[in-house]
Amino acid sequence: MLQAKEMVIFTIDGRTIEAPDDSNLLEIARRNGIAIPGLCYHRKLTPTGACRLCLVKIEGMRGLITSCTVKVTEGMKVTAFDRELEDTRKLLLNYLLYEHNDAYDGTYPDELRELIFRYGLEKPDNRYFKPVWEKLKFVTDDSSPVLTYDPSKCIKCFRCIKACDEVQGKNVLSFTDRGIDSFIIAGTGIWGGSECDGCGECIQLCPTGAIVEKPNREVINLEKIEKSVVTNCPYCGVGCQIELLVQDGRIVRSNGVEGVSPNDGRLCVKGRFGYEFVHSPDRLTRPLIKRNGSFEEATWDEALGLVADRFTEIRNRFGADALAGYASAKCTNEDNYLFQKFIRTAFGTNNIDYCTRLCHASTVTAMLKAMGDGAGSNSIEDFETTDCLFVIGNNIIDTHPITATYVKRGVVKGQKIIVVDPKWTPLVRYATVWLQPRLGTDIALLNGLVHIIIKNRWTDTKFIEERVEGGLEAFKQLEELTARYTPAYVEEITGVPAASLNMAAMLYATSPTAMIATGMGMSQQVTGTHNVFCLINMMLITGQVGRERCGINPPRGQNNVQGATDVGCSPLNYPGYMPVTNDDNRRRVAEVWGVPYESLSPEPGLTTVEIMQAGYDRRIKGIYIMGENPMISDPNLNHTEEALKRMDFVVVQDIFPTETTRFADVILPASSWAEKEGTYVNSDRRVLRGRKAVGCPGEARLDWKIIHELAGRMGWPMPEYRSENEIFGELARVTPIMAGISYVRLEQGSIQWPCPDKDHPGTPTLYLDRFNTSTGRGKLFPVEYVPQNEQTDRDYPLMLNSGRLLYHYHTATMSRRTKVLRDFVDESFAQIHPGDAGRYGLTEGARVRIESRRGELETTVRVSEDVLEGEVFMPWHFTESQVNRLTRDELDPYSRIAPFKLSAVRITKI
Amino acid sequence: MIREKRIILRNSGVIDPDSIADYINAGGYKALSVALSGTPVKVVEEVVASGLRGRGGAGFPTGTKKQAAAARDAGTIRYVVCNADEGEPGTFKDRAIMESNPHLLIEGMIIAAYGIDAERGYIYIRGEYYDSNRRLEHAISQAYESGYLGREILGSGFSFDLEIKPGAGSYLCGEELTMLESLEGKRGYPRIKPPFPAEKGLWGKPTLVNNVETLANLPGIIEHGSSWFRSSGTRRTPGTKIFSVCGDVRKPGCYEVDAGVILNDLINDLAGGTRNGKPWKAVLLGGAAGTFVPYSCNDLSMCYERLKERCATLGSGAVIVVGSGRKLIPLMQSILRFFRHESCGKCVPCRIGTTYIHERSLEMSGAGHDSRISILDEMVNHARQMAISSLCPLGQSPILPLETLQRHFNETIATE
Repeated sequence: MLQAKEMVIFTIDGRTIEAPDDSNLLEIARRNGIAIPGLCYHRKLTPTGACRLCLVKIEGMRGLITSCTVKVTEGMKVTAFDRELEDTRKLLLNYLLYEHNDAYDGTYPDELRELIFRYGLEKPDNRYFKPVWEKLKFVTDDSSPVLTYDPSKCIKCFRCIKACDEVQGKNVLSFTDRGIDSFIIAGTGIWGGSECDGCGECIQLCPTGAIVEKPNREVINLEKIEKSVVTNCPYCGVGCQIELLVQDGRIVRSNGVEGVSPNDGRLCVKGRFGYEFVHSPDRLTRPLIKRNGSFEEATWDEALGLVADRFTEIRNRFGADALAGYASAKCTNEDNYLFQKFIRTAFGTNNIDYCTRLCHASTVTAMLKAMGDGAGSNSIEDFETTDCLFVIGNNIIDTHPITATYVKRGVVKGQKIIVVDPKWTPLVRYATVWLQPRLGTDIALLNGLVHIIIKNRWTDTKFIEERVEGGLEAFKQLEELTARYTPAYVEEITGVPAASLNMAAMLYATSPTAMIATGMGMSQQVTGTHNVFCLINMMLITGQVGRERCGINPPRGQNNVQGATDVGCSPLNYPGYMPVTNDDNRRRVAEVWGVPYESLSPEPGLTTVEIMQAGYDRRIKGIYIMGENPMISDPNLNHTEEALKRMDFVVVQDIFPTETTRFADVILPASSWAEKEGTYVNSDRRVLRGRKAVGCPGEARLDWKIIHELAGRMGWPMPEYRSENEIFGELARVTPIMAGISYVRLEQGSIQWPCPDKDHPGTPTLYLDRFNTSTGRGKLFPVEYVPQNEQTDRDYPLMLNSGRLLYHYHTATMSRRTKVLRDFVDESFAQIHPGDAGRYGLTEGARVRIESRRGELETTVRVSEDVLEGEVFMPWHFTESQVNRLTRDELDPYSRIAPFKLSAVRITKI
Repeated sequence: MIREKRIILRNSGVIDPDSIADYINAGGYKALSVALSGTPVKVVEEVVASGLRGRGGAGFPTGTKKQAAAARDAGTIRYVVCNADEGEPGTFKDRAIMESNPHLLIEGMIIAAYGIDAERGYIYIRGEYYDSNRRLEHAISQAYESGYLGREILGSGFSFDLEIKPGAGSYLCGEELTMLESLEGKRGYPRIKPPFPAEKGLWGKPTLVNNVETLANLPGIIEHGSSWFRSSGTRRTPGTKIFSVCGDVRKPGCYEVDAGVILNDLINDLAGGTRNGKPWKAVLLGGAAGTFVPYSCNDLSMCYERLKERCATLGSGAVIVVGSGRKLIPLMQSILRFFRHESCGKCVPCRIGTTYIHERSLEMSGAGHDSRISILDEMVNHARQMAISSLCPLGQSPILPLETLQRHFNETIATE
């Protein structure tokens, strides 16, 4: 913990002020209501001292001093306002008006304009000089998909440069030319040709409208904004807080919310610009019933009646376990809580799962077994302050852009980064060492690191004795198992040079603190659970857990993928990770829900892919899919498609027609995140409040209300919840890890679970005192490397890996309905090593067919050294080239996750 | 009739600048042996006792700087940086030293480094100084070969590495903090002061930044002692000073003389007097960031204290002589164009102020008597505002020539 700073007492214009020693004078003055003007200073940035408007006098110091560059000290006597200072400020503002085009269109907040009014300079007659900016002949840069830069409005305050550099760690912007002719360039020229990824941090911090957003610029008028709503970002699991501006019932802008966790105002391109889908004309607005092969509009009464009747019929005829449900990682905790309650009561089965099974199921399984909690152990802020970060199978810059900003800030301060990835990722540029193992060889690699750590005695014996189950005895088993994983042997399997292995092991084990970030590269394998066991082994024997800034973190995919499992959308667990097989749990849950204990199934349900397999085998007859698109996201899509076709009754509740709704018998139009109240849980177990910005389109309804009504119609009525708040109240009663959380508390800020009672502050770091296992100790699981089942051969000579892009999200139903995101990327591609390109006669841009033993697709070649020879990478967002036609539905025996990362393929030119 | 007193330049033109043997034969690197045989503290004490003041322009006591750099954070990395980015118009004395006797500078840097226990040094050199650059490169490699640089210098426990970093044509990069930014590979923008370089300099480490001429004085001070050094110059500006005299004189060039020399003696006895033989109209002391003096100041004693009394500056030692036939407005416009061109643009008053006053000065050419007076007055007021509100010395400089022009030449400008 940081030591609290001592307080000092000083005066500004005779007023006594108390502040922590060493704080920024301008910041403190403003916090005390002393409105010293200034344009180049921003709380998040290092002081620049460029605009000079915040000049003050300080007794004992010569001349005028910029208050943004001064730290307060005991007894300091500051003059912030006198005639000379105000005259100087007025002159400086007049100087700015000499070079600045002050035309204002009302579409952006303008700090300079506020000062112009404050100093009575709004009328040209009151200004000292005739403007010169027109003579400077600046050219507007309109080349970016997301923003426009007008140098004539730029006051050269450096805020955009520092936003890009210090806040986002991207370093794209700088000045070119000198003096009054200087202006901002991106990269070496225009924005459109630069590495700018469109996060818009520069827009948010620009004080004069020199950099403005493109979307909605023709529409937005700040004076006509009806409301601004603080809510959660609808994309990834970082849980960024955004402020939505609503005008004429439509969202017209999204700003990052300053000063709150986890993002402190930062956003990525999706968080800032990805809201357009909400108002897409494609939105589902009326219930649809499939009649004679085509969808017809229906009333809610008709649709819900049909759904309730058919599901009841299936339950009565084939038993409860012939039904199943897919919950949604995009829906709120309240929606998902009611959904799993519905499946467990109205359906009477534990056949409930969702896309978490496809992403971190193996990680969660391994973490639950070894440590007792199925979530990340640290806070997002720790990614900046830990001494060493071990990033494995996780393209964190593209997939968790805001977590990555913390990482990049850490690197500047000397953080060491180890990247383990078969494919180049942008984080490699920041890495101390990059290990590039062949696909599917992670266990060998990690056992090899453990081997090196033990050999060099970089282990933490005390930690092993005190906090590991079985102590040194258990350690000995691991030592024996890993004995044969010598660097030479591991190099042979993985292709990673021994020197790099040594370096990585040394950095991880010997850094004062170290954290692991593990991603899909580890989890989406048949050996997913074993992979993560190996990581946990390495962490436990080095004692890099159980302290602040140490631990293991799976940055989560969807914005509520963590929360949906937390609130019970799991075939194994009730809310709060309480196993359904435990009688006490059943009793407890039945009591709160007011249902007979016997009506709750004691049998674990089927998992996501198993549900489809059971559908294929005609064991599952009916499915209720809420906000999921398995026809893109599930593995082995040809098989999934057949499974859906074979089911008797398919209901899809969604906001858009998707690849999956085609197979539905009834489509229920639901609400997007912007239309609902509720809560979400992000990657660091932070329960965050989502808020309604706009109404549902047409007849679309809130998800929880649809579930609620269906439950009643099926004879399993739920209490009459008056609001989401009441649902959360019930949820908190059932869910021990959230028992202390309430909407009232969340108004004050987010809370990290576990939070067992209303006085508990929440838990930033897990396992500080004990692991959440029955013995309180962590468990080692030594596992052997076994070559993968899927192997290349003469017919399928290449190994396909899949993943995500920054600009799109999962099945792209939202992101590809947002123009600016499409402007960045809108096409599928396959990255192929130049060696393979030569071997198969492929050139950049060539159209190809890629076939696996299960399916085929067509895409475009990108020749790139990002991938190893013999390997191919494809993003899986694109419906035109469905990567999951190629993948397998063979499963990890422990977690039932599918191996999306490993499919043998062949490529032929079309 | 005065004569030069060549101490720094005593071997210039005498020895082959590309030959370390020549330098050693002329007594070179002897001071280094003397320094290394004593303690670092002794070196600093000797420099403090000498009263040497920085020759880059500000005249800050060199010993004080060294004490500050040496005192900070024992055990940390320290740097010595030589400011060889001689960009002040009319100044070319550092170039003379580097081209004619590069080892003298190198020896001075090693001594300075030993004094503050720096392990690495950089010479930030003006990019256009091709010959200086080449000679120094050559001299540094010779010094490495001969064991004056690198590990365990002359068998002592002291090690020091030195390299050259050429600038890229920015006047502002001669300002010490901007120079450090540039050395770190960043764009040349001024840093906020404090912290000063002695506290947090290059890469945030204690750094001693000295001008070429300053460092070239160190071997003499160490070898012969501080009292020997004080035997030249004045009490408060001890030692010799190299003046670069140019403009309307018969023999422009570098002249090393006792500090405190009389201005007219410098011009007449050494620089051969004015070209047209008539009394000069004005002298600009210290370059563009310097002060104008009228002929009535021809008896000025060229040392910090006396010049300050008469509101003039010594600066870098530039003496730009303006002959009787020359007009002042074009000269003023040229100076203001220079500032406008060199303003980095970081702070508002300098970026816009330099543009504004230059634009105004252009209007003077066609203006009448009264409006010239009022424009000049307005420009001086702006320059004064810039001086109090600018971030770095560049924005604080235009006031120097403008105010002295107004004081001494208001009527001349109105009527010329």
